[in-house]
Amino acid sequence: MFRAVLLPVKAACVATANDYINRGITMGKEDLVASNPLRALGLEKEDGTDGRRVGLVMARAGLGKTAILVQIAMDSLLRDNNVLHVAIGEGVDKTRTWYDDILTLMNGEKKVENFQQMVDEVMKKRMIMTFKENSFSAATLEERMEDLSQQGIFSADCLVIDGFDFSDANSASALGELKGFMEKNNLKMIWFSAVSHRDDDRVSANGVPAPCHELDEVFDTVLLISPEENDLRLKTLKCTAACSVDAGKSLVLDPATMLIRKA
Amino acid sequence: MSVDLSNVRNIGISAHIDSGKTTLTERILFYTDRIHAIHDVRGKDGVGAKMDSMELERERGITIQSAATYCNWKGVDINIIDTPGHVDFTVEVERALRVLDGAVLILCSVGGVQSQSITVNRQMDRYNVPRISFINKCDRTGANPERVTEQLQDKLGLNAHMLQLPIGLESELEGVVDLVTMRALYFDGENGEIIREEEIPAEYQDAAEEKREELLDAVSMFSDDLMEAMLEETEISTEMVMDAVRAGTLALEFSPVFIGSAYKNKAVQPLLDAVQSYLPCPTDVENIGLDLEKDEEEFAVTNDSNDPLIMLAFKLEDGRYGQLTYVRTYQGTLNKGDTVFNTRTGKKVKVGRLVRMHSDEMEEIDSCGAGDIVALFGVDCASGDTFTDGKITCSMSSMHIPEPVISLAVIPSDNKAQVNMSKALNRFTKEDPTFKTFVDHETGETIISGMGELHLEVYIERMKREYGAEVEVGAPQVAYRETISQRADFNYTHKKQTGGSGQFGRVAGYMEPLEEGEYEFEDKIVGGAIPREFISSCDKGFKKSLQKGTLCGSPVTGVRCVINDGAFHAVDSSDVAFQLAAVGAFKEGYMKAKPTIMEPIMKVAVEGPSEFQGAVMGSINQRRGMIIGTTEEGNYTVVEAEVPLSEMFGYSTTLRSLTQGKAEFTMEFASFKPVPKSVSEELVKKYQDEKKEK
Repeated sequence: MFRAVLLPVKAACVATANDYINRGITMGKEDLVASNPLRALGLEKEDGTDGRRVGLVMARAGLGKTAILVQIAMDSLLRDNNVLHVAIGEGVDKTRTWYDDILTLMNGEKKVENFQQMVDEVMKKRMIMTFKENSFSAATLEERMEDLSQQGIFSADCLVIDGFDFSDANSASALGELKGFMEKNNLKMIWFSAVSHRDDDRVSANGVPAPCHELDEVFDTVLLISPEENDLRLKTLKCTAACSVDAGKSLVLDPATMLIRKA
Repeated sequence: MSVDLSNVRNIGISAHIDSGKTTLTERILFYTDRIHAIHDVRGKDGVGAKMDSMELERERGITIQSAATYCNWKGVDINIIDTPGHVDFTVEVERALRVLDGAVLILCSVGGVQSQSITVNRQMDRYNVPRISFINKCDRTGANPERVTEQLQDKLGLNAHMLQLPIGLESELEGVVDLVTMRALYFDGENGEIIREEEIPAEYQDAAEEKREELLDAVSMFSDDLMEAMLEETEISTEMVMDAVRAGTLALEFSPVFIGSAYKNKAVQPLLDAVQSYLPCPTDVENIGLDLEKDEEEFAVTNDSNDPLIMLAFKLEDGRYGQLTYVRTYQGTLNKGDTVFNTRTGKKVKVGRLVRMHSDEMEEIDSCGAGDIVALFGVDCASGDTFTDGKITCSMSSMHIPEPVISLAVIPSDNKAQVNMSKALNRFTKEDPTFKTFVDHETGETIISGMGELHLEVYIERMKREYGAEVEVGAPQVAYRETISQRADFNYTHKKQTGGSGQFGRVAGYMEPLEEGEYEFEDKIVGGAIPREFISSCDKGFKKSLQKGTLCGSPVTGVRCVINDGAFHAVDSSDVAFQLAAVGAFKEGYMKAKPTIMEPIMKVAVEGPSEFQGAVMGSINQRRGMIIGTTEEGNYTVVEAEVPLSEMFGYSTTLRSLTQGKAEFTMEFASFKPVPKSVSEELVKKYQDEKKEK
C-alpha cells in the first residue's frame, strides 16, 4: 500500500521532468524546481515567491499524505531552504527512505548533473526529528528547535509535521503555539498532514473534513487527496492571498499514466 | 545424537551489548544441569561466566567469540550459540544466524531497543530466523517491559506481544503471570530453581485479562480453531493458543515476548519452555542448497539423516589440538572415521574425531545426523565451505561478509614477537573473514584490517596474551578508495622495438564511472583490431591498474573500461605487451576522468539523555558529520548521523566526557563518499611526499 501510493505520486513528480530529459536537456537543481508538478498547484505568489504559509494535506489513511509532504519539503530544499521534517510515530530510517526514493526517481534517467553531489548538498539542509505519539508536544518541539538554533547546529526555514494528532482536544492550542513560533522565528512555512475518516462526514464551510473542520481558519492552504473513480485527486480546498490559483482547483493523479493534470 | 528432529532446537542468543546474554546463557546451563554453579559475567568471585571462555571476554565483560554449547530441557536437545552484540563483531552473529533455526533476542528492560538490537534484528531478517524476545533486567530501576514491547513493534516492525506480565518490577520483581495458562509463576530456592505456580494475584487479574485479550486478538489469525472459539465464545484451551503462537512465530509474522531477570534468577525456565514450544525444529525450516551439477539450481535440503550428507562449516578455531571446525549438518549422517568432500576445493578429508562443544570443553561423539551442530577435528577448510559424502555436489548459500573499513600497522618488538605474531595472524584470519592481514610491499609493515577500533584492539590484545607477541601499533589507517567522476577516452601505444624481440600493443577505448560494482570490462573490438587472445590481457592490465590509484595510492573502484579499437604487431604483440598497453591506457584515461578520493562513511547512532542532545550533535558536526535525524524517547534521544570514519577515532572518549559517561554510540559502514577538497589535497600531498622519500 505504501509503495502503491508512493509510486504514482513520485512518478508524477518526474513526469514533467521527463519532458526535459527527453529533449536531451540535462538538469540542475533549478530545472528540478521549475519542472516540479507542484508548480501546478500555484502555491507561489504571482511574483514567484513564497508567501508565509501554514498548510495542511488531508486524506484517508494510506492515500499519499506523506508523499505530498515530502515533495513539498523537497521543493523547499531545492530552493535552498533548511527543512525540519518532524515525523510523529515513524522512525528516522523510514522517513529518510521517502526522500531517497523520490530523489532516485528524479534521477532515473541519469541526466541530473553531479547528482550525488546535489543530493549531499540538499540533504545537509534537511533534518529529521521523530517522536512517539505520546511524547510529542508543541512545547517540546519548540524547545528542541531552539536548542539546535542557539547552538548553531540547525536553523529551520521550513517545517513539515507528519502525523500530528488533530483529534486531540489540545490540538487547537498546540497549533496556535506553533503558528506563533513560526512568526517569532521567521519560518517560511509549516505543513501538516491529517488523517480523515470515511465514517466522519463533518466538514467546514470550505469543505475541510473532520477532524480539522473546526480548525481551518488556522491554515492558509488546505489540500485534500481523495479517490474518485479511477483517479486520485489533489484538491485545493482553501488557499488564501498568497496563492496564484483559486480554491477549488484540483489536479488528477492518474494511476494508469502516472501524470498530474489540471481538472 | 537425537534421531527425532522434532526434539532438536538450534538457537542463537543475540542482543545489544550488556543486555545480559551471557548471564542468561549461564542460567540456562545451570537449569539444564550442564553446569553446577553460577558465576557473574563481571565476576566478583573471579571466575566469570561459563560462556565467556576467553580470558579477554571475562575481563572486559563482553563476549567476543561466539561459543557453542548444548543442553537438554524436558527431552529437547537445544544447541545454543551465544553471540557478541557489539557491531565490531557482526561476522560472528552473521555466522550463527546462517546455521541456526531460531533465535532469542534479548533486550534490556530499561534501555529497550538499542542500535545493535536493530542490527541483529536486521541480520535475523536476512536469514529468515523466527525469533522470540526476552526483556531482561526487569529488576533494574526504570524497567518498563511494556515500553520495550512497543519499541519492538515500532522500531523493529515486529508483531510483538507479551506472553507474560511482570508481578512487581524493579527491586520488587517477584515473578510473572503466564498469559497463556493464566497462572502466576514464582521462582524460589537459592538460584530460582524451584518454580511455584499459583493463582494470579487479585491486583493483577484485570491487567492479565486485558493483556490476554490483546494477545488472543493478535494470534487468532494464525489459527482457525482459535478464531472460531473466539467468535463463538467457546472455551479456549492452552494448546489452541500455543499452536497459534507457534504458527505465527514460524511464519515470521509474530514474535512472542517474555520477561524476567537472568541475574535475579527470575523467569528463565519459562523462556526455555518457550524455546521448545515456539521456536522451530530443523524440519520446520527450509534450507536452500545450490546444486553445482545443475548450474547452481536451488533445491531444498531434506533434513533426513538417511539422505546424502550435506554439512556447512561456519566457524573455525585453531586451538591446542589443531583446527576445530564447527559444522551444521543439514541432511545425512556423519560417523567418526568417514571421508567427506569439500565441494569448494574438491578435496577428500577423513574425519578423525567428532565432538560436541560446550563453550571450550569437548565431548567425544561417534556420529551426528541432520539438524546437529558439532565440531570436527583436523579438517582443513575455510569458513563457509560445504562438505558432502560425495553422492551429491552442492553448496549451501554463502554467508554475507562485510568488507573491513579500518587498518593498523603492527610492529613486533623483536624477532620472537615477529614469529609469534605471524602464527597469531594466521590463526585469526582463518577464523574471521572480516579480519585481514597483509604486508605493505613498500613499507614492509604488517597491516591488519577489520570492522572497527574495538575489533582490532581485541586481536592485538589476543596476540599478546595467547601468543606472547608484543607489538607496537601504528596510527589507524582509513581504507580510502579512488574513483573517476566522468568519462574519458584513452588511446595508448606500448612499443619497445629496438631490435630483437620487442613489444607492441595499442589499446583504445574509454573509461566511465560505474554506479554499482567495483569494475567492469567491456570488449567492443570489431574487425580483429586486437586479436581475441589478447583481449583478456587488456582486462588484466586494467585490473592491475585498479590496485593502486595515482592520487593517493588507494585501490580504484567504480570504473567501467571499454575497449573499441587497437592495433597489434604480428611478431611483437604478446600477453605482456597488451597488459602494459592497458596499464598505460588506464593511466592516460584516469587523469582525464577527474579522479576523486573517497572515504568510508559510517552510520553512527548516539544514544543518550536528551539533555546532552545539543552537545552530541555539536560533536558530530565538528567531525564533518551529517546529522540525519533524531528520535525522542522519553528522556532519551538517539541521534543518527553519517560521519567519515577518519573522524571517528577516539570518539568514545569524547562522548564519554561530553555526556558524563551516560551516552553510547554504535557505528557501521554505510557507503563511500568523495572527500572534501582540503582532505583530498592533504592526502595527495602526503602520498607524493612518501613517494619522494623512497
